Amino acid sequence: MCEYTIALVGNPNVGKSTVFNALTGADQHVGNWPGKTVERRTGLLRLSAAASGPHVAALLPAVTLVDLPGAYSLSAYSLEEEIARSFIVEEHPHLVIDVIDASNLERNLYLTAQLLETGAPLIIVLNMQDQAEGRGVLVDAARLSQRLGGTPVVSLVARRGEGIETLRKLIAVTVTQHAGGDSGMRVTTLAPRPQQIIIPYPAEIEGALAQVEAAILQSPTLAAVFNPRWLAIQLLEGDETLRCKVAGAPGGASILAALAASRTQLTAAYGEEIDVALVNCRYEYVHQLVLDVVEQTHRRRISKSDRLDRVVTHPVLGIPIFLALMWVVFKVTIDVSAPLLDWISLVVTGPIANWTVAVLSLLGLGETWFASLAVEGVIAGVGSVLAFVPVMLALYLVLAMLEDCGYMARAAMVMDRLMRKVGLQGKSFLPMVVGFGCSVPAIYATRTLDNQRDRILTGLLAPFMSCSARLPVYVLFAAIFFPQHASLAIFAMYLLGIVVAVAVGLALSHTLFKQQDESCFIMELPPYRLPVARNVWRQMWGRTSAFIRNAWTIILTVSVVLWFLLATPARGGEGAFADVPVEESLFGVASAMIAPIFTPAGFGSWQATGALLSGFVAKEVVIATLTQVYHVAEPTEVAAPPPTFIEDVQLIVTSFVQAISDTLKSIPLVIGVNLFDAGAEPAPTPLMNAIRNDFAVTSGGHGALAGLAFMIFVLLYTPCMTAVAAERHELGTKWMWVSVIGQFAVAWLIASLVFQVGRLLM
Amino acid sequence: MLWRVLREVEAAQGPLDLNELSRRLGVERSALDGMILFWVRKGRLVDDSGAGRATVACANHGCGGCASGQGCPFTMTMPRTLSLIQLDLDERTSSQARAS
Repeated sequence: MCEYTIALVGNPNVGKSTVFNALTGADQHVGNWPGKTVERRTGLLRLSAAASGPHVAALLPAVTLVDLPGAYSLSAYSLEEEIARSFIVEEHPHLVIDVIDASNLERNLYLTAQLLETGAPLIIVLNMQDQAEGRGVLVDAARLSQRLGGTPVVSLVARRGEGIETLRKLIAVTVTQHAGGDSGMRVTTLAPRPQQIIIPYPAEIEGALAQVEAAILQSPTLAAVFNPRWLAIQLLEGDETLRCKVAGAPGGASILAALAASRTQLTAAYGEEIDVALVNCRYEYVHQLVLDVVEQTHRRRISKSDRLDRVVTHPVLGIPIFLALMWVVFKVTIDVSAPLLDWISLVVTGPIANWTVAVLSLLGLGETWFASLAVEGVIAGVGSVLAFVPVMLALYLVLAMLEDCGYMARAAMVMDRLMRKVGLQGKSFLPMVVGFGCSVPAIYATRTLDNQRDRILTGLLAPFMSCSARLPVYVLFAAIFFPQHASLAIFAMYLLGIVVAVAVGLALSHTLFKQQDESCFIMELPPYRLPVARNVWRQMWGRTSAFIRNAWTIILTVSVVLWFLLATPARGGEGAFADVPVEESLFGVASAMIAPIFTPAGFGSWQATGALLSGFVAKEVVIATLTQVYHVAEPTEVAAPPPTFIEDVQLIVTSFVQAISDTLKSIPLVIGVNLFDAGAEPAPTPLMNAIRNDFAVTSGGHGALAGLAFMIFVLLYTPCMTAVAAERHELGTKWMWVSVIGQFAVAWLIASLVFQVGRLLM
Repeated sequence: MLWRVLREVEAAQGPLDLNELSRRLGVERSALDGMILFWVRKGRLVDDSGAGRATVACANHGCGGCASGQGCPFTMTMPRTLSLIQLDLDERTSSQARAS
């Protein structure tokens, strides 16, 4: 009675380990493959009398089952595949059990085809039949066995233990055949011996294989170890490991000479791609096999996800759907966040300012320049930006939901078509989509592109995508000048950013950046799914907290610097420090010198110019600057005593409850249902009134048009200093200046054009 | 079969979804994965999985938004892409002849 070895082989995740456990039970040993860090599992297979029949039980040898690492092929591309191949073709197990996932038959049968080529005795285990049937795929096991020349095929559902006993019996029969025969028989004749399966290759390849095979047969050492045809195929495929083994074996030189001659003959027909031809034949063989043995009980189902994709990524409908969704995003963002935005403004300008003044008074600092810095600089500046936290939260919430459900990947696909029209390679959509969040990572993301031309062109266009830091400016100006259509006005800004990027891209790709490379690529779209609350929260809070951090760092610093510039008289004798009219301050005078540049755009006041100047640092600073330069205070009752601490707390609580109630009432606004009382529009703040009046003056009565031009300018000029630094880092100093000056020119041109044309039409 | 993968990608003139490609070829999605892996090994397709997330090197140069230690919050999870490497004209002509 001899030792009997069976190898269990299969693709990863086909239930191989479940089959192994079911066959061996607790008789397992776990170690490593010699010299490798890959786990080696072996087990003792008990072929009971029940399985094999009492009359043969006594003849059964001890059977060791070896669980080989998961492998997709025997081409030894990975360590796992190398181990599996070496064991099968060099260790010669008495039997190989190939576990196949019936629900992924075509991929699994590729390995089977290679196993057949090795000539190893084989049993095929068709696992996961239940899953395959669930997909309407019926695999005809008998037909498969017949097509594979009588190779036994066992159907089972390993996780439920169904079919395991049948497999055990089949193994017992196979082993019994061996045990009952001559113990000196060669192992390859022991197992169920199917008729030889030859995967057909084209005639010229068959000719070459025959030459190499003949040479291998001349080497007894190699012919004893390897199946000559299999070895010939592998050598023609260009397997370097086997080539080295052959080179070191007796008679190896003549085999390699035959191989070289064969390859030379084939080069005329296949060039350097003989391996592609061989692999292709194998795939063709497997494909035909699948067509022959699989019955589709119902037409191959197209998943809901795929059906939805046909609409969402449609060449014509894709972009309108993307725009419609973006419009909903801004509608939700603006309508739902407005009550909480007003609440934070009220708290910052009311109770927090009051408490700061009270504390400073207690410290003896009331009525000093320091109190002015704290209230008019820090609290007004930072507070005016922090008021937009609910807006950012709402925006990031909706975007995170779209991202997590899988839509943003589709949006990227839709954007790709637009990118091609602009003359960019398809992958440029990545930085552009990221640019909707922040221009800085968008510019850094250009390094993922393949060539310098596309990197620079994309880096120049990405800042035109409206980053989220610009949103507070749009929200404020839309509320001032387009209160009835605020969402539409903001949506129009995002749309305009895309249109300008496309137009500039077209212009550049036909002038400075010609010679576009065609790029074709495959995308793996994730299936749609319901957004996961944890992911949505992480995205939303991560981005909002970045906005808040900016408020406490960049905006705080700029607000303090700005206050000093506003507090310092430009000329001697025109007021003292912290007691100078703002228009006479250093900042006021410097801004006034530049302001005429913006007169053609309708907002040539020093205040608007100053806000744009500081906006170079970061777009959030525009609001902080406007708050300081207009230097407005909430109207207070004459002679009214300052509110007490308790009254302030009451105000915070009651206004918060009201804000939450209004937020809930705002949700139906998204679908056009207004639950608010007619005429219950919130009164404009003093800052809004000041901006409206100022823009009306500078534009000659076309305030709304000037407001629109201002929004456009904010959209199109340099996003922030950090983005400029990113451009210098990624594109170089020259292109950084091209970007800064170019964006300023484009912004000024379009803003002026909109204002001037609009004025003519109105 | 293998050549059709490349031909379909090239003919699409834009991004082609893997599921859509699997339908066009009439092969199982998992089998297509195997074919794609083959072309990736051959260098005719380049797997850009890592590039999809535009995290890149913002950490030391950026806006500070990544100070939370969880990377840049503005990056987006983008789909895996596999780019087709174009052959020069001579090579392409002979490849197409062989494929047909």
